[in-house]
Amino acid sequence: MRALERHRKLTAIWASETGFKGWFSTVNHNDLGRMFLFTAFFFFIIGGLLAMLIRVQLATPNSAFAGPEIYNQIFTMHGTVMMFLFAIPTFEGLAIYLLPKLLGTRDLAFPRLTAYGFWCYAFGGTMLIVAMLFGIAPDGGWFMYPPLSSAIHSPGINADFWLIGITFVEISAIAAAVEITVSVLKYRAPGMSLEKMPIFAWYALITALMILTGFPPLILGSVLLELERAFGLPFFQADLGGDSLLWQHLFWLFGHPEVYIIFLPAAGVISTVLPVMCRTTLLGYGWIVSAALALAFLSFGLWVHHMFTTGIPHLGLAFFSAASTLVAVPTGVQIFAWIGTMWKGRPELHLPMLHILGFFVTFVIGGLTGVMVAVVPFDWQAHDTAFITAHLHYVLFGGFVFPIFAGIYYWLPHFTGRQQFFRLGELAFALVFVGFHVTFLAMHWVGLLGQRRRISGYTPEDGWSVINLISSVGSFILAIGIAMILIDVLLHIFTARRSCRNPWNATTLEWAMITPAPAYTFASLPLISCRDPLGREPALATALARGEGYLGVPREGLRETLAVDSASGRPEMHVLYPANTRLPIVMSAVTGLFFLSLLLKFYWTVPLALVGVIILAWRWVWSLGLRDDPAMQPVGHDLTLPSAATAERAPGWWGSVFLLTANGTFFGALLFGFAFLWTVAPGWPPPVWFKPSVLEFALGVAGAVIAPLAMRRAIRKNRAGDTPFSNVLIALFGIAVLGITCAALMMRAPAPTSHAYGATLLVLGGYGLFHATVAALMSGFLATQMRLGFTSAKRRAAFPIVALWVKYASITGLIILSAAHLPGMLS
Amino acid sequence: MTELLRILLAPLVWLVSFSAIYGLHGLLCETAEGSFAEFPVQRFVLLAAFLLAIALQITILWVLYQPRFAAPAGLLRFVSRAGGWTGLVATVWTLFPIVALSTCT
Ligand code: HEM
Ligand SMILES: [Cu+2]
Repeated sequence: MRALERHRKLTAIWASETGFKGWFSTVNHNDLGRMFLFTAFFFFIIGGLLAMLIRVQLATPNSAFAGPEIYNQIFTMHGTVMMFLFAIPTFEGLAIYLLPKLLGTRDLAFPRLTAYGFWCYAFGGTMLIVAMLFGIAPDGGWFMYPPLSSAIHSPGINADFWLIGITFVEISAIAAAVEITVSVLKYRAPGMSLEKMPIFAWYALITALMILTGFPPLILGSVLLELERAFGLPFFQADLGGDSLLWQHLFWLFGHPEVYIIFLPAAGVISTVLPVMCRTTLLGYGWIVSAALALAFLSFGLWVHHMFTTGIPHLGLAFFSAASTLVAVPTGVQIFAWIGTMWKGRPELHLPMLHILGFFVTFVIGGLTGVMVAVVPFDWQAHDTAFITAHLHYVLFGGFVFPIFAGIYYWLPHFTGRQQFFRLGELAFALVFVGFHVTFLAMHWVGLLGQRRRISGYTPEDGWSVINLISSVGSFILAIGIAMILIDVLLHIFTARRSCRNPWNATTLEWAMITPAPAYTFASLPLISCRDPLGREPALATALARGEGYLGVPREGLRETLAVDSASGRPEMHVLYPANTRLPIVMSAVTGLFFLSLLLKFYWTVPLALVGVIILAWRWVWSLGLRDDPAMQPVGHDLTLPSAATAERAPGWWGSVFLLTANGTFFGALLFGFAFLWTVAPGWPPPVWFKPSVLEFALGVAGAVIAPLAMRRAIRKNRAGDTPFSNVLIALFGIAVLGITCAALMMRAPAPTSHAYGATLLVLGGYGLFHATVAALMSGFLATQMRLGFTSAKRRAAFPIVALWVKYASITGLIILSAAHLPGMLS
Repeated sequence: MTELLRILLAPLVWLVSFSAIYGLHGLLCETAEGSFAEFPVQRFVLLAAFLLAIALQITILWVLYQPRFAAPAGLLRFVSRAGGWTGLVATVWTLFPIVALSTCT
């Protein structure tokens, strides 16, 4: 087969529907990555316009531009849009677009999940923007502290938009994180061991794991606060056994890692682009991986530094102050590795390199002011002043926006297949750089003079007028610079000349294809033997196009790829992807209906939406079933591989493991909240305790023990060739009993609206009931599949997955029942 | 999975001991109002927890250097040992205030 013919055939298999319709049914990472990035930049522009409004307001004293009500909405939406709708989705988009190309495979692990995540993001973001257009946007600051954001002090719907909209968007972050983790671990080119992975993949993996463990506390906080606002469960109300500090803990347990979730992908871009700009290889690969890992961990031990002024004990202050200074070390290691890389090579001042230099200057300054505010006495002075806002922009703009601009200019030829033509970009960079520093250096200064953040006005007597005016002028220079970058990029997309295949002479795999990237990504999959495949074999792209790699023979209508052993990169199974479908967009619309019903308090549509989600999820998984045992599949180079449907640990199992990791963090945060309220909150002990019941407890424990055992037995019997229908039914029964005892706990939780104790028990019971329901549905699904002949000793992938969820429901159920019943029984 | 475990173990143990000792301090202070001056037992418990955490980290690091348990040579070994050092240094540095401070306020 000739290269052109292969190209035509593969394109027919992988392409999305033509035109407008294709957007709604595509599951291809090429499309979805672009859609993510495009949408994220759209939100960046909105966030940027809001920033301009802020600076207009603050430019002069006694400004009459916007009243405090509107101003509160403006800065809240600016922070929210930038953090949740721009920064995180930009990482997701970049990772979705790049990872399969860098890893030498054809798509991500769960293409439909990618699409679902995108639509959740698009719909959730739209909800927030619509709220803003109607003037009912959130106005409690981007961290929404209660009691300000509780129903008593923010009675309108504004705060609900934040809590519900952001939770909706968060689904997309979790989906992308699961997707990225499994893809990096399992979906790589043959031979690409962890050691040979491009550095960006390490960063993406670490960031994704951080999203899985960092976002759940915020989701929990949002759920609890929304429950308080909508139904009066007083988790954060000090007079009813709640504590508003609990919100701060949950928020910053998320919020601090979030900062590194934003920075690490940007660092990944730098580690990828910088060596190419310096015509050399990255110095200290192992050090960089280690530093990124250390950073990820340390960042989870810093959250209290946002709470230095809340009156926590000195020892706590000292702990978190020490941890905050320590985090500078791994950051420093990375910076020095990059400086060493520049030293080693011959830096060329192309446009991406300019932005990287902008990053260095800005981020290092931001890091230094960060160490300043890590010192408690200094923070007591600077807390909630413009100094903090200036610091956070040095870190976020320096540590994210500059690297992303570098990335855009670097990969633009890949997106478009064109060559940079105009030289507008250099001027734009200069404006952005100067504008940024004028704006925010001034804000440091005025902050030290005492200007608080989030104020809508000040008087001439404050003595801040000139500095604020300078800052505002700077922000307009910055805005012009960003507008010019936008124009430059548009000009590039529409007018530039065609470029050659690998314009930067890079050595990573994403350049081993025609640009713009074809729908199928690689015509055949490479065999990887080093970290710089294109450096060793410059003609790799043509060889792959000629089908000399793995899976070089297109098979009618089948989207194929390989999955590998995660450590060694040895090919392990043969994977078939689902094709274009509208299921994801429909599913996320129904999910959106669920959230909208909660928001607008149409409670009768909530169960409808839930049933809808269940039906769609059922269809989603059902379509993966096979009627016959799949045969071993030749994949080229004399290699035959088993199908993923016959694997003990199929991709779905891996996905479940990481989804449950996030879920477990959520549950852990919930237990932490319970313990926190119990020991720290005023207003304890509660007026009435829960009445323990030996019967309920014993029944629940029995169910929780029987169900996983039955599933284990089912796996064994199935492997031996039996059809373990009855075992799965026993598991279903056990899990149902567990669910009923959790429901009983909910019914009997003492006066949930009058004390946080009962409220927490209600939520714990609800958590148990929810997971028991999910596990029961999955067992029911498996039983149905067995009845209709969709499983066999070979087609066994579904069993371990269901077993995993059953086990999870059982363990968490046991903990919940113990937390509720045992204290009463023991005392 | 063992590769992952080797890399993540030490920092995870740091995270757990850091949070646990922070919580422990809160609990101990429930009993000792204001300061540990008259409550040497609580102070002793905290110091013991600190030493235990360090001992755990040293053990992990030691294990990572044993040929029998170490990761295969190359990147994974390097990263796992770097993780071990991270855990140890982080434990000593972030929990050090226990030695210097004895108040509950
Ligand atoms: C485009 C240039 C930008 C300008 C001129 C700008 C300007 C500002 C200003 C003046 C404030 C202070 C509002 C106040 O305290 O009253 C602010 C707040 C904030 N900005 Fe930006 N910003 C920019 C970009 C960004 C980016 C890229 C991010 C994040 C990735 C970001 C995240 C935030 C956050 C989180 C807040 C705090 C909001 C709050 O207090 O609730 N900003 N910005
Ligand atoms: Cu922080």
